[in-house]
Amino acid sequence: MSPSLEVEGLRTEFGLRDRVLRVVDDVSFTVEPGQALAIVGESGSGKSVAMRSVMRLLPKTGRIAGGQARLGGTDLLALSERQMRKVRGRDIGMVFQNAMEALNPTLTLERQLTEHLKWHGICDHAEAKRRAVETLGDVGIPEPEKRIRTYPFQLSGGMRQRAMIAMAMVTQPSVLIADEPTTAVDVTVQRQLLDLLAELKARGTGIIMITHDLGVARYFCDDAMVMYAGRVVEHGPIRRLLSRPAHPYTTGLFESTLEVGARQRALLPIPGSPPDLAYRPTGCAFHPRCGRAEERCGREEQPLLPWPGHGEVDLLHAGAGPERNAERREVACWKAVEHG
Amino acid sequence: MVDVTVEHDDARTGADGAGGYLITADGVDKVFSTRAGDVHAVRDVSLSVRHGETLGLVGESGSGKSTMARLMMGLMPPTSGTITFDGVDLSAVHGREMRRLRARMQMVFQNPYGSLLPHYSVSANVAEPLRLHKRGDKESRRKRAIELLTMVGVNPRFADHYPRQFSGGQQQRVAIARALALEPKLLMCDEPTSSLDVSIQAQVLALLDELRTSLGLTLVFISHNLAVVERFADRVAVMCLGQVVEIAPTEVLFDSPRHPYTQQLLAAVLPVTKDPLPAPATPWQPRAEVLPLREVAPGHFVREA
Ligand SMILES: Nc1ncnc2c1ncn2[C@@H]1O[C@H](COP(=O)(O)OP(=O)(O)OP(=O)(O)O)[C@@H](O)[C@H]1O
Ligand SMILES: Nc1ncnc2c1ncn2[C@@H]1O[C@H](COP(=O)(O)OP(=O)(O)O)[C@@H](O)[C@H]1O
Ligand code: SF4
Ligand SMILES: [Mg+2]
Ligand SMILES: [Mg+2]
Repeated sequence: MSPSLEVEGLRTEFGLRDRVLRVVDDVSFTVEPGQALAIVGESGSGKSVAMRSVMRLLPKTGRIAGGQARLGGTDLLALSERQMRKVRGRDIGMVFQNAMEALNPTLTLERQLTEHLKWHGICDHAEAKRRAVETLGDVGIPEPEKRIRTYPFQLSGGMRQRAMIAMAMVTQPSVLIADEPTTAVDVTVQRQLLDLLAELKARGTGIIMITHDLGVARYFCDDAMVMYAGRVVEHGPIRRLLSRPAHPYTTGLFESTLEVGARQRALLPIPGSPPDLAYRPTGCAFHPRCGRAEERCGREEQPLLPWPGHGEVDLLHAGAGPERNAERREVACWKAVEHG
Repeated sequence: MVDVTVEHDDARTGADGAGGYLITADGVDKVFSTRAGDVHAVRDVSLSVRHGETLGLVGESGSGKSTMARLMMGLMPPTSGTITFDGVDLSAVHGREMRRLRARMQMVFQNPYGSLLPHYSVSANVAEPLRLHKRGDKESRRKRAIELLTMVGVNPRFADHYPRQFSGGQQQRVAIARALALEPKLLMCDEPTSSLDVSIQAQVLALLDELRTSLGLTLVFISHNLAVVERFADRVAVMCLGQVVEIAPTEVLFDSPRHPYTQQLLAAVLPVTKDPLPAPATPWQPRAEVLPLREVAPGHFVREA
């Protein structure tokens, strides 16, 4: 069985010319083997930087200022770059948000996939070639033995995204981090890719999926973590979170989502835009956009606290006591904690 | 309902009389030659878009949607078939005439940052097409750029900032302002909101909606987000394996899809609120040969499967 990934108190900062910007602030979560965690939140909320911190793939100006990321017994944040290079791609796979970032434009898919396997000493060339063709076929690239000889630019956007997923899956990592892995494909391919990732999950890989698509999160993930301005504002089992969001920001994300077959439903976009972290609002960072804000929201920082689940009806676990469910939900909003 | 088989070159989707179309693709094929052999990206596609209409283009990834967009923009020639823009056959125009036509069709891409010039301020980015087409002088171009930025909701105070200083949603607004600089008739949008957050996406869609009404724009809207297409398009064309397999008015397509691929596509949508989650759809095996397109109801065309 794969080890679990435990991230605790992660803090990441960027050094700007005249100040330091904290873009990930005290983020903690656990991904058990065979479980999937969804990370949601508007762009700029720190999702990608948090994951790049775990992968130790920050740009030069970025710095991990605190926390741990334990995989099995090893704290990834304490490894040397050389040790980390062995872990990356083999024990932790990553599917990047931008397909062009992971794929080398000057190399054919064949070169990229086989080199990757050989570099980690996973198999010899002939076996690597066989596995590469097989994995490309698995992710639904038509005629994989032929397409493996092409360059990334000769593929459609969705095919590039699939090739990248193939590359991350080919080593069967313990943990796979997927940053918006299905935004460029149609829904049938999306479904195939999710089902393929589900197989990986069933074999024990823990998966972290960053996504804007709440339908994808609900279908694929067990837990969800909602980020806003670098912090976690809500955390809990996804089904419960969607059937009754606790944090006003989660409610806002939910209400601005469009859904097929709901032409009539009014769109309720969250007003305004996420804050510039250099000018982080005081107290609850969401207060300038929050319809429920009161005076104290602008004064008091909001820690992540257990959510008592006021009157929450749990359709999925009817019979399991409310205490059990309540334990598993956390929210960073005093109003939600006190009044639901 | 009587099934009427139509010749494909008449299958221009709910013809409403001569002269109603801004852009027409007629029997278009595109073959790319690569080291790995030929890729038949577009097969026998006939499509028309009326003046002021929004046509949604959805379908399989790799089915030729972006290729169709580039063909309709005259950015590359079709292997066979013709594209007609405002009554002019694109293969017959060259040089200056082509440039003049191009000014009237503009494109908005998925990745706004990649489509802007990073070392130009946003106002210079918006003014760039005007400069390339030698419109006005430096000062009038800047003035126009600022008007355009204001129109798309970018505060003119930030006109001299660089693209990277803006959020993705703001960058997309800048890209839209630039696309509008030459007062195009057609806006070709290739996944214009898929790199944006749901909250920002809603704002950009509202902007496009307002612009198409106030400027009378014709839109082709390519997206994998079927919920967006359902809200935004007047008609929808579904592509699979390089072919258009179904075209219908939006409501008809979503309420009663007829082609197995369309049915499969709609069945694969993952709902956010509705229960239960859909069962895996029974896969339909696409066939590569080109079968005829039939009109099954007025304006509703379905390819045989
Ligand atoms: N420059 C090129 N050289 C070779 N093949 C190409 C080129 N551009 C596109 N293709 C091929 O043409 C086909 C259609 O690609 P296209 O980009 O139009 O698909 P799409 O429908 O836009 O897909 P997606 O939804 O994934 O963006 C694909 O098989 C692709 O690999
Ligand atoms: N290289 C960088 N230098 C400075 N700031 C950065 C850099 N990369 C990201 N950031 C900032 O970190 C924050 C979080 O970014 P990111 O993790 O990419 O957000 P998300 O993935 O949630 O959209 C943003 O405010 C972003 O502007
Ligand atoms: S703490 Fe106040 S501002 Fe923040 S989410 Fe709760 S109610 Fe809204
Ligand atoms: Mg990101
Ligand atoms: Mg495309």
